[in-house]
Amino acid sequence: MIRFEQVGKRYPNGHVGLHELSFHTERGEFLFVTGHSGAGKSTLLRLLLAMERPTSGKLLLAGQDLSRISNAQIPFLRRQIGVVFQNHQLLFDRTVFDNVALPLQILGLSKPRIHQRVLTALERVSLKDRAQQYPCDLSTGQQQRVGIARAVVHRPALLLADEPTGNLDPRLAAEIMGVFEDINRLGTTVLIASHDLALIARMRHRMLTLQRGRLIGDGEAGQ
Amino acid sequence: MSATRNPNQQPAERVGAGPRKAPEPGNDGPSFGSFTLAWLESHRASLIDSLKRLAWQPIGSFFTCLVMAVALSLPMGLALLLDNVERLGGSWQRAAQISVFLRMDVDTAAGQALRDQIATMPDVADAEWISRERALEEFQQLSGFGEALRELPENPLPSAVRVTPNEVDKTRLGTLRERLAALPGVELAQLDQVWVERLSAILMLGDRFVFGLAILLIATLLLVVGNTIRLHIENRRTEIEVVKLVGGTDSYVRRPFLYMGTLYGIGAGLLAWLVLAYGLTWLNKAVVKLAGLYDSDFSLAGVPTEDGFSLLTGAILLGYIGAWIAVARHLRELAPR
Repeated sequence: MIRFEQVGKRYPNGHVGLHELSFHTERGEFLFVTGHSGAGKSTLLRLLLAMERPTSGKLLLAGQDLSRISNAQIPFLRRQIGVVFQNHQLLFDRTVFDNVALPLQILGLSKPRIHQRVLTALERVSLKDRAQQYPCDLSTGQQQRVGIARAVVHRPALLLADEPTGNLDPRLAAEIMGVFEDINRLGTTVLIASHDLALIARMRHRMLTLQRGRLIGDGEAGQ
Repeated sequence: MSATRNPNQQPAERVGAGPRKAPEPGNDGPSFGSFTLAWLESHRASLIDSLKRLAWQPIGSFFTCLVMAVALSLPMGLALLLDNVERLGGSWQRAAQISVFLRMDVDTAAGQALRDQIATMPDVADAEWISRERALEEFQQLSGFGEALRELPENPLPSAVRVTPNEVDKTRLGTLRERLAALPGVELAQLDQVWVERLSAILMLGDRFVFGLAILLIATLLLVVGNTIRLHIENRRTEIEVVKLVGGTDSYVRRPFLYMGTLYGIGAGLLAWLVLAYGLTWLNKAVVKLAGLYDSDFSLAGVPTEDGFSLLTGAILLGYIGAWIAVARHLRELAPR
């Protein structure tokens, strides 16, 4: 599904984001990427979203070489990926329904189909009854769940999450992780960047550990 | 993503397709018809959204349209005034008459035949025969030398043909004068070139002034639209970043701003039309009064319908182009962070 082959990322100011990173994941896998601040977690996610390009090596996503992807192809690549942010990135002038519907509107789905898909996604995160409310009327945990619903509503092959539980208390964080596991059970590959080792250890999934852009660990969390 | 999909395909098997294939990742992708409908729906949604955003700031939107309207109506108004001056020049044809003096040996019958010949020439509106006797009579009345002229042993004045041209145009008048001078029996063909040259020069100056002003104000208008759209883009930066992150193409991001520029153009075009129509009507009262003092029935023409529609079309195009330039400039800066 994801294949990093000696991928390096060096910024114009000389800072090295990733250093000859190599790993691969299978379809439907659930894995964490962990490490301290500046370890390269966000760089890894940005490369997968084609927000940046590797400066060396080869990065393949389901066979597509992201180091050579054209600018015109990037939006179509991103339609296959769901993204969850720590700060939710919700649009506060739109209802919960409209926030979740956004990826489907971009895909050009009909109104009835959008309606059905959005309600299904909101039901999955237990927010169906909040569809017509605005994000500012929701708690932080609920806002995060809206972000997750938006990330999965278009049934992406890959779900990326950058510190999705960073602002949540342990109970809510566990709840959100439960939602990710439900999504993973449907066949979606889930990759979560997090530094919450305690939470990761409880979940018993594969964990990649980064340090200063290098991969220093690859194994099951908690072992 | 592919145009035809395996209905049993799992989400994890779908990444990696090219950009021009069917866009929906689910196994219930839209047909061409429903995709077209969705595309139209997307345009409708962008238009409605743009209208709402303009309506939310009615005063700001109105003043933006007004600034654009003023920028449009200044060159257009001057061009219309110049048209009117040219029309006025047409009504002053008599002031650009050519006097064709015949040789002294040309008798009345030959002179009148020459008048008939001149009257059929293409650039001639009218040709009037003036006999030697009538010429003397007019000269006696106008010169104030009536008594002195009566003492002369014979009439010193030649017969003449007074030619009124079709229009006041320096080049064409010069050509006509040369053709008249070359006719048999013609001693001299005289044109008040200085007057014609002055009018022609004034009109040319006016044309150039309007052209220069139009270029300057069009640039101003593009800057006004561009800056307004830039502010809208800044206000919607988060939304644009999210749209790009979930797969929105540049054209999808650009669309609402282009509608906004077009709507500004429509508003500005209609306002400019209104300002010009009202302004010319208001000015016309004074013009009619002034023309009346010179025994003229001259009045300003209003804004012709076709000119009004040209103004509206131009405003819409400028709004669209201004928005396009603004979005194109800022689109690269709007990459998700």
